[in-house]
Amino acid sequence: MSRTLAVARMQLINKWTYIGWPLTILAASFLISLAIFALIPVTEAKNGGGSQAPLWYFLVLGIQSMTLVFPFSQGLSISRRAFYLGTLGLFSLIAVGMTVLYMLGGVIERATNGWGVYGYFFNIPWVTDGPWYSTAAFFFVLMMFMFIIGFWFATIFKRWGTTGTLVSTLGTAVALIGAAALTTFLQGWESVGSWFAQQTPLSISGWAALLCVILAAGSYATLRRATP
Amino acid sequence: MNDTIVEARNLIKHYKDLNALDNVNLSLSANRIYGLLGRNGAGKTTLMSILTAQAFATSGEALVFGAGAYENDAVLSRICFIRESQKYPDDFQPQHAFRSAALFYKNWDQGFADRLAEDFQLPVKRRIKKLSRGQLSAVGVIIGLASRAELTFFDEPYLGLDAVARQLFYDRLVEDYAEHPRTIILSSHLIDEVANLLEHVIVIDRGRIIMDADADEIRGSAVTVSGSAEKVDAFLAGRRILHRETLGSLASVTVDEVLSGSERTEARELGLELSPVSLQQLVVRKTMAGTEAGLLPITGDFADETMEAKR
Repeated sequence: MSRTLAVARMQLINKWTYIGWPLTILAASFLISLAIFALIPVTEAKNGGGSQAPLWYFLVLGIQSMTLVFPFSQGLSISRRAFYLGTLGLFSLIAVGMTVLYMLGGVIERATNGWGVYGYFFNIPWVTDGPWYSTAAFFFVLMMFMFIIGFWFATIFKRWGTTGTLVSTLGTAVALIGAAALTTFLQGWESVGSWFAQQTPLSISGWAALLCVILAAGSYATLRRATP
Repeated sequence: MNDTIVEARNLIKHYKDLNALDNVNLSLSANRIYGLLGRNGAGKTTLMSILTAQAFATSGEALVFGAGAYENDAVLSRICFIRESQKYPDDFQPQHAFRSAALFYKNWDQGFADRLAEDFQLPVKRRIKKLSRGQLSAVGVIIGLASRAELTFFDEPYLGLDAVARQLFYDRLVEDYAEHPRTIILSSHLIDEVANLLEHVIVIDRGRIIMDADADEIRGSAVTVSGSAEKVDAFLAGRRILHRETLGSLASVTVDEVLSGSERTEARELGLELSPVSLQQLVVRKTMAGTEAGLLPITGDFADETMEAKR
């Protein structure tokens, strides 16, 4: 247990990686969005997609924790289990922190009528329309998802190299196209459409969380036999 | 004192078209300095990776402190193995790497790490990915030394280090080892440089252990006899010949045998010159003898030499 905690602490030694950069990216994206909102002279609500910026950084973090931090952890004789739990635990913590920031930002944003310029950065149509816990769940799961998907593909890459990554990416694409073709063949698009229409941010979070769990379990199984 | 802490039994590591390790059996005792010598690609890093559970053997068993290291925190916490091509987190500076090591090694000595960083003139606040090859090696050397892990591996730690820095490493290693005895495995192909540090020598070639003996035993286990070719050959008839060089009518022949006192006197009376064989010479000759015996058809004049060497 203490070694698992130490894995998390180790990755916080350089505060920039997990705290400084996400906050910097968020702040920069927020300020730029705000400047753009202020420049558009309409008094209707304006929405921007800038709040997704840190998510892409999380994807990179997920990749790097597998390609760089894992080999380093092996050099310090850290077990794969401790590395996995410590890293995922740390990331959940960061995702919780970011979710809290997004929620607070959302509250201030509504209270100030979009920062006085009718600009909505943290409030996203449909996503933040529901109750607070549905919004929180959506943000949290989405952040975890980005990290885990990066981690997952990097694990595949470490274990099976370029070929493995290509096969699994192409395989996913083929499976999706196959599913789409099957839907067309069975004339099922109508029911697919109505299924999506029925989804709420909360149920989408649930499905994404399920996918996260599957990918995380898959990553662990792969990591167990990975070499630095 | 002489507890066995590493035990490898029939280790085989098979890659697609290559036997990286070919039935390796090994037993290492506590508190000694081992040299793991061999050519590039001989299997040194593979062997160390498997012992430390960073990689997996195709078959066989590796026990460290009496158990497998794989996912075994009790064993792993006593091992340090920074590889030659060690990777570090993207944003890390040497100081971050040292603080990380401090979290995992209970005997970590930060003061020692700081002194070493100064010795090696390592910029501890520069991003690791911006460091030169030598500075990168210094980071690994410092982690290996300051962790004071009971079982420490150094994987060709001198790459990119200049002569002064290499000597510094050897000196610090010996000094610290004297104060804090532990088991050190130094993989190297700069054999002459490390020969004096080593208490035990293991030579690996194409996945096989071809030498596993105490350094003292090896020193003087071979001798080079030189003089007129005729006399040398007559004197050495029937002996295990490792290497033969001729220059005109002169020959210089290395035999893998110890000469007795009377034999030495006899040689001197014949006007032959005897000279010791350095560890590096011996390793090179033995490795090459293995290659020749394995690869070349045994024909003509060559046959005698290789047959002798093979015995």
